[in-house]
Amino acid sequence: MTTSYTRRGFLGLTSAAALGAGLSACTGGGTSTGGGATQGASNNLRLFTYEDDSTIGLLKAQIKKFDEQNGTTTTVDSLPGSGAAVYPDKLRTELLGGKGPDVWRIWGGQIGSPFAKAKQSLDLSKYYDKYGWDSKINTTAISGMTFDGVKSGVPFLSLGIGAWYNKSLFAKAGVSAPPTTYAELESVNDKLVAVGVTPCGLGGKYGWDIMRLFEYLLEHTAGPDLHDKLLTGAESWDRPEVVEAFTLFKKWQDKKWLPQGALALDPADVEPWYVQGKTAYTITGPWTEAAAILAAKKSSSAFGNFELPTDKSPARHSGFVEGYMINAKSGNADKAAALIDFIVQPATQKAMNITASTVKGAEPDPKTLPLAAEWSQKYGNNPFYTIQDQAFPKKQADQYFSVQSDLLQGSVKPDAAAKKMQEIVSAWAKS
Amino acid sequence: MATTVAVAKQPKRGGRWSPWLFALPALVVYVAFLVYPAVSSLWFSLTNWDGLSATYKFVGLDNYFKLPHDPVVITAVRNNLIWTVVTIAVPTVIGLLLAIALNGKVHGKPILRLIFYTPAVLPLVSIASIWGWLYNPQYGAINSFLRLIGLDGLAQPWLGQDSTALWAVMIPAIWLRTGFPMLLYLAALQGIPNELYEAATVDGATKWQQFWHVTMPSLRPAHYIVLALSLIDSFKVFDMIYAMTYGGPGTSTQVMGTWMYFNVFQYYQAGYGTAIAVVITLVAIAVGIPYVRSQTKEA
Repeated sequence: MTTSYTRRGFLGLTSAAALGAGLSACTGGGTSTGGGATQGASNNLRLFTYEDDSTIGLLKAQIKKFDEQNGTTTTVDSLPGSGAAVYPDKLRTELLGGKGPDVWRIWGGQIGSPFAKAKQSLDLSKYYDKYGWDSKINTTAISGMTFDGVKSGVPFLSLGIGAWYNKSLFAKAGVSAPPTTYAELESVNDKLVAVGVTPCGLGGKYGWDIMRLFEYLLEHTAGPDLHDKLLTGAESWDRPEVVEAFTLFKKWQDKKWLPQGALALDPADVEPWYVQGKTAYTITGPWTEAAAILAAKKSSSAFGNFELPTDKSPARHSGFVEGYMINAKSGNADKAAALIDFIVQPATQKAMNITASTVKGAEPDPKTLPLAAEWSQKYGNNPFYTIQDQAFPKKQADQYFSVQSDLLQGSVKPDAAAKKMQEIVSAWAKS
Repeated sequence: MATTVAVAKQPKRGGRWSPWLFALPALVVYVAFLVYPAVSSLWFSLTNWDGLSATYKFVGLDNYFKLPHDPVVITAVRNNLIWTVVTIAVPTVIGLLLAIALNGKVHGKPILRLIFYTPAVLPLVSIASIWGWLYNPQYGAINSFLRLIGLDGLAQPWLGQDSTALWAVMIPAIWLRTGFPMLLYLAALQGIPNELYEAATVDGATKWQQFWHVTMPSLRPAHYIVLALSLIDSFKVFDMIYAMTYGGPGTSTQVMGTWMYFNVFQYYQAGYGTAIAVVITLVAIAVGIPYVRSQTKEA
């Protein structure tokens, strides 16, 4: 009998424990729509980012310095190499789990926007006032992280996209200077192909990398005013300038100015090809100097950069901002804001080798990053148009990539592609 | 006799609630972690929740009505059907042939079994990366080999065009899934009494006749398991597609699983995405019923 009672007691305890666990799970599930209550205040902070191996150490060193000065313990988690296609998903899942990071890094535009609109990120207006970020940080960059009039992020990077090339391959093709007109760029491509070099290394997996070529071609054919109106849906895409851009896009593939099968290539694999000598150039931003050139132990002097010639005035390149947001549920918002303020100090930015800081006085050091410094001096003040995967919400951006894919495979003609784009953008504008 | 009486009286002490009490811990866990999330998903599929906001609206069956009008859903269903047929039929047949070969007098059987089963234990992301490199149009081993033997015309951007992308992903899927049926069939083959073959040989049956009239009927339970598990595995395909093509080029390799993921996690359309998840679940349940019934009958 004793054994029997013990079993029942065990059974009862087990049931109670399981029931408790079940109810906890129910509570956790219920928070999935709200992200949970505000977390308690403490000296522990968590920062989530997507720094890669070449830069995470620099960030962690600065965070350690902040912790020592402020008596905090900050955990840094990074999801390197994931790009905008994956990182926001991970962040979103963490936030829905109820224990998201206190601070997270994010892109501006339509990538950061959902977190602000869902009120997962904190309105930082009072911290802008407290720390005077408005006067310290580039105003255009701040607007890239302001959504529906709410300052939801603090931008620290304002990146311009251009061509980064391998000097020895240009020399092999008899090209002594970067092109200054679109016609010259096409001529450079022909010369490179003639000596057996693939000109432009871009990968179409995920869509956003090869998009950089199309958006440049659209800037070339449409010009600044029309391009901006197309991105907001203020003008129809079903027009000659867009058809011409799609025609040129197909031409780049057909004339083998892009790698064979570019649509399936992973940008993470393809982008460093210009450093490895497999392609002559790629279309990317200043981070490539640290992430591809210096990481491969190559000298910056073997490479160069130039703004893709649009033949339009003003000369523009595509660009985007990146910054930090604070979790609206964080119990440590004040400390999180202090951490961000520490990060956007010029000294911290310089220590982190930030190649295109939004902060005045934090320009890249020509000694450590000569090419990034050169880009900043030559083109840093040129206006830029919003990179297209930040101009459109993700769904519309994917539909847009799909049109590009169909065009490059020949299943859609340029005029049909322009019409399809108009359908996509007008449906979005109406929604 | 006394022992028999004591045993016979045992059920009376616990009454009819005893089985439920014993099952309760597992049942609570099952309800909390499976039934509750499933019912929640069903609820969210009837809303316009974006997956992030604290609020949402009830939209009834709107999300379900949208499904047939979504061109990507049509593509995804077609891809799921192709994937299911091919990744069940081919690994099952190859697995059976390998099992028969390894069940005979072959040198180095343990090594061969290990070689054929190894892909099944490799991480899927690694497999996707390895095959991604093999398929690289310019530097991949497959196109390099084709060029080496003079078949330059057959070198393709395998993952970069709609016409070949899905098939190119199915090949590694077949490669990694062949080991599982092979092991099951091998175990089943070793359980067939030798006397059956001896009797068939005495009766003058050829090897082919022995295969069809002795081996195949004896493998019936193994067929059930292999087909049912492969069917469920095939229908819930996600990882290989996600890692190798990300549903592209365009949306040409989207399947229901990846399209559900894109809607829930990337497009902030959690209501619509969970409607896709509900449909996937219902189909998986429907195809799983014959297997469950067969197992119940045998029990």
